[in-house]
Amino acid sequence: MRARLSASTSFDPSDTRGAAVAMLGAAALLPLLPGHAGLPCPLRTLTGVPCPLCGMTTSVEATTHGHLGAALQANPAGPLAVLAALIIIFRRPRTVIRVPVVVVVATLLGLWLFELRRFSLI
Amino acid sequence: MYPPPPQTPPPAPQSWGQSGPRAGFWSRFAALFIDSIVISIIPLILIAIGASSSSRGLLAFAYVLWFAGYIAYFVYFEGSASGQTLGKRILAIRVIDFNNGGEIGYGRAFVRLVVRFISGFFCYLGYLWMLWDKEKQCWHDKAANDVVVPVQYYPVP
Repeated sequence: MRARLSASTSFDPSDTRGAAVAMLGAAALLPLLPGHAGLPCPLRTLTGVPCPLCGMTTSVEATTHGHLGAALQANPAGPLAVLAALIIIFRRPRTVIRVPVVVVVATLLGLWLFELRRFSLI
Repeated sequence: MYPPPPQTPPPAPQSWGQSGPRAGFWSRFAALFIDSIVISIIPLILIAIGASSSSRGLLAFAYVLWFAGYIAYFVYFEGSASGQTLGKRILAIRVIDFNNGGEIGYGRAFVRLVVRFISGFFCYLGYLWMLWDKEKQCWHDKAANDVVVPVQYYPVP
């Protein structure tokens, strides 16, 4: 497992273009629904413990409407996700990016600590 | 007990650590992302109508529909012969039986879905598992004895 943690994942931007369009589209359309909810987190709904991606609907939506402060408060990954989506859609990078496994794991762990702190569990 | 060899011979110099080509982390992530948005569209609209008209009945119905729709969507599509949800179709990947390369069926698709909740409980450890697993299996793949593969090498029947 140690050897595999030093491995990396292949991030092909063209693979994620559909997801990027879906994300920005949803973020743009969500405010049209009055009193809309975010996607409910199964973990938080069942146990009260947030997951690393809690707050992402709020964060992405806030970013696309220019409320960067609110976005960063909900989940710091939201503005990064929007930036990545914009680059993937408009710059259309062709290079496959190697993302080290340890970066993926560390990012999720970091976000989890952030959310646990936000919900005052640590 | 290995899946049948890929039908299109893979390019020669490739060396997979696993017994055949497997779908990568990011394409699986993108597929799930698209699916999550797709299944949320109708419930979100109903929730908005329920909230603005203060109809608690409609709100409750919308949440039940969300939950039931989520289960039905994944069990039906991943248990089907194609093993593909809409997201997986867009990303050209599919779920197949690890042993014989066939469909996993609705029962195992349900097991897969239930275990997915557990996979997500510890900082998504069960999902991340594929990053260091020999066959690129998440916990829910192991529970349902399936693998997620590129359509390119394992065409939809």
